[in-house]
Amino acid sequence: MIFINSILLLGALGLVFGTFLAFAAKKFEVKEDPRLEKIMEALPGVNCGACGYPGCEAFAKAVIKGEAPKDGCLPGKRQGVPEKIKEIMSE
Amino acid sequence: MNVFLIFMSAILVNNFVLQRFLGICPFLGVSKKTDTAVGMSLAVIFVMVLASVITWLLNGVLVLMGLGFLKTIVFILVIASLVQFVEIFLKKVSPGLYEALGIFLPLITTNCAILGLALLNIQNNYGLLETIFNALGAGFGFGLALILFAGIREQLDFADIPKPFKGLAGTLITAGILSMAFVGFSGMIKL
Repeated sequence: MIFINSILLLGALGLVFGTFLAFAAKKFEVKEDPRLEKIMEALPGVNCGACGYPGCEAFAKAVIKGEAPKDGCLPGKRQGVPEKIKEIMSE
Repeated sequence: MNVFLIFMSAILVNNFVLQRFLGICPFLGVSKKTDTAVGMSLAVIFVMVLASVITWLLNGVLVLMGLGFLKTIVFILVIASLVQFVEIFLKKVSPGLYEALGIFLPLITTNCAILGLALLNIQNNYGLLETIFNALGAGFGFGLALILFAGIREQLDFADIPKPFKGLAGTLITAGILSMAFVGFSGMIKL
């Protein structure tokens, strides 16, 4: 009985909080530039910081703002990341 | 009256950061600037009060069902959900503060001050009203410690301090001295 009770209780709580968070996420959704996600995908995602920004996401945001050079990602240079970023930015 | 005493003692006498050694991580991490310290304090007060109320109610359910051993995991679930909500909310309302708080915002989840508070409320057999005031006091106490410390650290940035004391070492020593100051309050309120 105690097993079933635990499972039911935790399951119910998880469901309640999950639903609440899902609604909150929808209600307070932040519209982000669709290019941000594409650039993030193109980047190696190692968060090395060699570009001078704290992590790949900060670099991607700076590229969109035009603050960072498109070929600023050092580890991604050989894999053709700058070209991909140029392509995304010119869309 | 008792409620007021609980509130004051949670702020000063049993200050969570400086007397109970709880929640040191954001205390050291987010205290570089006063404005982020204020934002962090508000987030912590919000999470502490709501988490205390919800965990207090849930504890009643747990005891009724004879599942007291699930306390820890249930409380963590509540706290994690609330922190996630604060994160979503802040990202929308105040992106600047969201960026400034960075990793320390999701870290409230595993902040021992909040789980500690929820467990202490149960341990002390507080009623709902006492729980709310204890949470408010703990939250304000955390805020007080954090904002005081941020103010000191801002001043220290301009001070001419010897090289070995610069950076983290000096910060920890400063925190120790601040804690010493709070020892002066001990024994003021007997509950």
